[in-house]
Amino acid sequence: MKTIQVTINGELYQETVPIRMLLVDFIRERCGLTGTHVACTYEGVCGACTVQLDGEAIKSCMLLAVQADGHRITTVEGLANGSDLTPLQTAFKAHHGLQCGFCTPGILMNMTEFLEKNPEPTDDEIRYGLIGNLCRCTGYVHIVDAVRAASKVAKQGGQDGG
Amino acid sequence: MVDNTRDSVSWLGARLARKEDLRLITGQGKYIADMVLPRMLHAIFVRSDYAHALIKGIDITEALALPGVVAIITGDEMRTHCKSMRQPVLTPNLPAKYPLYYGLAVDKVKFHGDPIAMIIARDKYVAEDAAELVVVDYEELPPILEPAEALKTGSPKVHEEEADNLMFEMTFTGGTTPEEQQNHAVEVEKIFQAAEIVVGAEFRVHRTGTTPMETRGVLADWSNSDGLLVYNTTQRPHIDRLAFADVLDIPAEKVRVIAPRDMGGAFGLKAPFYREGVVVAYAARKLGRPVRWIESRYESLMSIGQERGQVNTMEVAATREGKLLAVRNRGVADVGTGQIGVYWGFVMPFLGTVELPNAYTWEAGDISLKVAFTNKACLTPSRAFGHFPTRFAIERAVDMVARRCGLEAADVRRQNIIPKLPYTSVTGEYYDSGDFLKVWDNLMIQADLPAFRRAQLSARADGRYIGIGFGCGVELSGVASELMVPMENQPGYGAATVRLDPRGKAFVLGGDAPGGQGHETTISQIVAATFGINPEDIVITTGDTGVTPFGSGTIGARMGSYFASAVRKACDELREKITHVLAHDLGVRATMEEFAFTDGEVVYIRDTSKRKSFCEIVERIIMFPINLPEGEVGGLETTAFFEAAKPMICFNADMCTVEVDLRTGDFKVLKWLTSEDVGNVINPMIVDGQMHGAIIQGLSNAIFEEFIYNDQGQQMTADFEHYKLATAADVPDIEITYASTPCPHTPLGTRGIGEGRPSAVSGALCNALCDALSPFNIEITELPIRPNVIWQKLKAAGAVT
Repeated sequence: MKTIQVTINGELYQETVPIRMLLVDFIRERCGLTGTHVACTYEGVCGACTVQLDGEAIKSCMLLAVQADGHRITTVEGLANGSDLTPLQTAFKAHHGLQCGFCTPGILMNMTEFLEKNPEPTDDEIRYGLIGNLCRCTGYVHIVDAVRAASKVAKQGGQDGG
Repeated sequence: MVDNTRDSVSWLGARLARKEDLRLITGQGKYIADMVLPRMLHAIFVRSDYAHALIKGIDITEALALPGVVAIITGDEMRTHCKSMRQPVLTPNLPAKYPLYYGLAVDKVKFHGDPIAMIIARDKYVAEDAAELVVVDYEELPPILEPAEALKTGSPKVHEEEADNLMFEMTFTGGTTPEEQQNHAVEVEKIFQAAEIVVGAEFRVHRTGTTPMETRGVLADWSNSDGLLVYNTTQRPHIDRLAFADVLDIPAEKVRVIAPRDMGGAFGLKAPFYREGVVVAYAARKLGRPVRWIESRYESLMSIGQERGQVNTMEVAATREGKLLAVRNRGVADVGTGQIGVYWGFVMPFLGTVELPNAYTWEAGDISLKVAFTNKACLTPSRAFGHFPTRFAIERAVDMVARRCGLEAADVRRQNIIPKLPYTSVTGEYYDSGDFLKVWDNLMIQADLPAFRRAQLSARADGRYIGIGFGCGVELSGVASELMVPMENQPGYGAATVRLDPRGKAFVLGGDAPGGQGHETTISQIVAATFGINPEDIVITTGDTGVTPFGSGTIGARMGSYFASAVRKACDELREKITHVLAHDLGVRATMEEFAFTDGEVVYIRDTSKRKSFCEIVERIIMFPINLPEGEVGGLETTAFFEAAKPMICFNADMCTVEVDLRTGDFKVLKWLTSEDVGNVINPMIVDGQMHGAIIQGLSNAIFEEFIYNDQGQQMTADFEHYKLATAADVPDIEITYASTPCPHTPLGTRGIGEGRPSAVSGALCNALCDALSPFNIEITELPIRPNVIWQKLKAAGAVT
């Protein structure tokens, strides 16, 4: 067991956890932030557990909770500011970028960072940027539409893309 | 009858953003894995390491001694304390072998992944540790893996108590007695003998499925007074409720099943009644504590979600002008153990064979199916239920006819597409309505085949190989009782309760259980349009057997066909009552049709000064039920049931273009274009999304996904690194177009859509690949289709060295 301190969505969590506890289980079960999902066998393929660690999109099933000690994490619950959605969230709603919504939090966390680094992506770049996120409902068509739309919003508004 | 003209507020057909989305994009969805009850225990299954072995003993001593482990349940306990899974509510009315089985394996394991024991612990990590400590003493048996071998006389048996491995056998054409069938086969053979052209092949389709992103999960709780409460990832909670009651021997009124409002996809995988849920529910009752099982992806890919695996030996007879005459097909499906509640693995190939003739006018067919038990996971329903293999075969065969005739495959299709509906196919499937040729012609206008042929010629001059392929598909729009009762021992009708609120809001209660299709939005649009109120003022509850009317589930495109129609019918019954009271209050003699529900008001059309707000009249009837018309009572709530007189369908046609790299066999889909008859559309954005998802599932199935067993029956593809789903970078954009005909048998002219949609994809894709490679006379007859296969074919044809 080890006592760790992790800041998630601006809130400090100090918890004593087994060394072997996965970060995704810490986020979901200890902190109750169930927007982060698990869809593969903790193998880093599906991307549903994607969160941001110090601003970088990572798969939280591939880290232990103890490795996040002293770090800052953002989950899907931390994207919107109260009822103000980010441009990317708004675009997902406007373009029907989700159906069952299970993969969506991971995609939002990945694409938020993606658009920060590449505010004006081509469709091919968006598609390659999504390789780490599996979606089974949408066929990706509306997801690509939504990310493209959010990138334009970012460009016009001079914002950071989400 | 079609009548949506009276909806002056046109929510019908609006691209309304989904009501579901806000919670899902902010992390507030509530899926099964997010549900926690006080004192909840965690369950995990120990599964078989072997495809076929006797269980000589199970030693749980060490596992049970691990601190944190509460109980371990094995097959013997399930056999002693629960009934088998062979209950009438779970068993079709079709003559098949239904091998006896329980929540856990007893005596023998029959596939790699067969559940042997369930560990229950306070912590899921501890449960996994304990699973490692369970020692199973196996006596290995040779696995039975090939259907052809399994069906041979004297083959070892998957199920010792059954006579052989032939689970199901049926001839779909030409009579009911062996003699009639033989005579019919002779007649069909005469057509083949006389035909100018006969093509045929053994069309092989691999095991693949539709694998939702959320695995299964069950959370069961027991109360001595209220009985069993089960949260279950299921498409059909009402069927599950009856099944839990029967298998666990609990009075049905003491069982409540709730499908979580948010389910992470289902696609048929969550339609069966699964044995794991029974063990979890049994444990909750035994321990008097909530027990939850969240399936791992590993066990999901091992034990469920596998469909399609089938060989169809097909021949088609045609004239030199490309007129299709007769089809002969011998299907053999590899069903695995055949042990999955409701479907038993064979219902899919059964229906898939019924759907084999597709949209073409055959003079005759000689079509039969055999289904074999093997030591593999039982086939599980997957979107395009059963007919992915037969559709691949028939669409490829049509192209083979065209090539032999020297005609465009598109022209051969148009010549043979059923020109007028209704129509009954050679297998007896009823096609109720629509205009197939309108859909086809719409596709061809947009496809611009002559332009493509010119581009193809000039590309070939540059050494580039591009091709164009077509396919089409008749799909079920809901599943009528006429089909559901024999096939699944269940009704097909839709049911909905609509409850109006004294504040002028509406609640809709439905017994189906969606998994991402947007029911909350679509149903709200229907209710809003019918009452002239806002979709935001409507709340939809699905999936809870404690409060919803009986529904057979979210299966077979029942939403746009049956559920939507039941909702509309219930709304109309309430409109009737509202206008009856309002006419009385206004002192006019008027029928429902003489009132308009618009912009939150109910208006008397003949004198529009006579009106009342919807909210006021609803509140008056619910809260102030005095001075009512004679015979009328207060309250505004009703449950309506909808059943069409005949089964209903929808129709689609696909075109795709591809480019093949001759050096490597690698290929790329350049364009995917469709034409759809989906009837009247409630929300075009949602319908587009359904089509996109279905088509990409079809492509992913055809190219990437494949469940592979090795020669010992070990499942080799039980994670997403080996069972590859298409990523965004693997697949093309999709262009959907519509050429719809309103369905005359639903109140809103809607059709149920999206379920069968993946099936047309593999044929169109392979037809395009064969077209691209037509100089080398390559025919693709086997899925999956991958660059290495194409390269081998090119090599065999001498195109590459």
